Amino acid sequence: MLVDDIKPTRSGLLLVRRRMALAERIHKLLSMKLDGMMLELVKLTDRTAQKRRELEEKYNRAREMVAVAAMMEGATGVLLAALSVEMYPTYTAGHKNVFGVQLPDLEPVMVKKTLDQRGYGILGTSSVIDDAADAYEDLLEEIIASAELEGGVKRLLDDIERTRRRVNALELRIIPELKEARRFIEDQRDEMERQEWTRLRRIKKIKAKRRTGL
Amino acid sequence: MPLCGLISPSCIYACTRFRVRRTTLLPREEYLRIMRMSIPEVVAHLGRREYGQELTDLAHDFSGAQLIEEAVHRNLAQSFRHAIAIAPGDLQTLTGEYLNRWDIANVMAVLRGTVHGIPRQQIRDLLIPAGEVDSALLDRLLRFTSCEEVLEALQGWRLYPVLAEYYRICGEQGVFARIENELYRQYYAGLLDLGSSGCSGCEELIGYLRFEIDITNMRNLLRLHCAKEACDIATIDRTMIPGGRIPIELFRRLYGIDTEDDFVNAFLATNIVPVLAQAIRELRQDPNFSSFDAAELVWRRWHQRRRPLHEVEVAVTRVRLHQLEALSRRHPFSVLPVLAYLERKRYEVANLRAIVRGKTFDLPPERIWQYIVL
Repeated sequence: MLVDDIKPTRSGLLLVRRRMALAERIHKLLSMKLDGMMLELVKLTDRTAQKRRELEEKYNRAREMVAVAAMMEGATGVLLAALSVEMYPTYTAGHKNVFGVQLPDLEPVMVKKTLDQRGYGILGTSSVIDDAADAYEDLLEEIIASAELEGGVKRLLDDIERTRRRVNALELRIIPELKEARRFIEDQRDEMERQEWTRLRRIKKIKAKRRTGL
Repeated sequence: MPLCGLISPSCIYACTRFRVRRTTLLPREEYLRIMRMSIPEVVAHLGRREYGQELTDLAHDFSGAQLIEEAVHRNLAQSFRHAIAIAPGDLQTLTGEYLNRWDIANVMAVLRGTVHGIPRQQIRDLLIPAGEVDSALLDRLLRFTSCEEVLEALQGWRLYPVLAEYYRICGEQGVFARIENELYRQYYAGLLDLGSSGCSGCEELIGYLRFEIDITNMRNLLRLHCAKEACDIATIDRTMIPGGRIPIELFRRLYGIDTEDDFVNAFLATNIVPVLAQAIRELRQDPNFSSFDAAELVWRRWHQRRRPLHEVEVAVTRVRLHQLEALSRRHPFSVLPVLAYLERKRYEVANLRAIVRGKTFDLPPERIWQYIVL
């Protein structure tokens, strides 16, 4: 029901007061949620930045290891070892709830492998291949962890934006409008009361005049 | 098998040819010169040497470091096939057997490519037909769509029995790693069998092979120990190559040792320590580095579950090659000069590859130099 549709009656006033109380309660809750999400965002952003730095370090390490592997075994040797992979790394995607926001929860699957699981023969390769494989497994894990945090930050930011719009709408539009409506109804009712009072006085005067006229 | 037992004229001729070919390999100064060049300059420089034909042939399909790598691999394959061709009689058998390791890599690449459905051209580019399985057979293998067909076509190969025995279901998890390990184990067993034929230099060859086996076993034991999961005795048995001077029992024992004294004492008893100490002395230019220091260094890596340093591995390879060359000079008309040439050629290609790959990844020259085997 729009504010304009509310009639300046006692029931209309009660309705506006109820809606006003509800709007203020929602505003308070959403403000608290916004503050909580902001705190969570700050924490998450710090962790994301830290993870991103670690990711860069791991990337550089992986590049260095693959460079050494390419030097010692040749691109051919590295590719042959890569061809041996039998179980491809992947991840499972779940969700975790933070302030009602569904943040991604990614779990690496078959990223860290044992020597047996990697698929290449130990006798046909050297330790540089192990080092390169280790470095790239670490890098993949870091990418998944980083993606989880960055995805969380993005969703949290979206929700903060949405919540902020709601808080602003309540604070700057709905609550002022309801206040305005309440004042209008109260004014109208006061006016009506005054009119009624005046009417009653006038009737009383007319009745008194009639009585004296008899 | 009386391999060069009476030193036949053809054997003397072949050994002399290999010694002469050894002198045509790149000297140290040449590597220093190449280190200062850019990749295009290296291509131009190698084009003026014996790699010119391969570089011209492949320039249409590859460029930069990839071109150099492909060209040196092709040249290596050609040199090795030529080596098999010019080696007489039983020397040829031994050379072929020695070069079988390239066949193992090629056959495994074909099998894996067939199972995983990798484009054939991509697999073809990875093959180095430096062994007995020639390009024509490899091309034929690449045309097959199932492992059964590949195996059938490989029936004439020396290591086919191992392949047939260990091959169960194509595509079963981990089966290729087991086959590959078993092929290499059988490869060394075959070489040791041939070496025990009583030929000239065969005793030294067996000594060299047994030392190579020990080094490989120790390196692989460190790799197994570095893995996050503990491995069982069966895995150690499957991974260790029998036939070395160090019995596999000692490797099993080493794997379970957790105290420094026990480890150092057990490790000092092996024949690896003097070579390792010499390699590190040369690497660090430290004449005071003793065998005990070497054993302690290995213990530290072992205790921290870290793999061997690559620079140390390369340094050990250098010492190993110097020993092989010393042996080949002592037995000039035996199988040793042939193997010395084959190994030197292999490392020439590895050195060129290391330089261009290092340059591609912008590694500093002093870092690249650590990986050069001279």
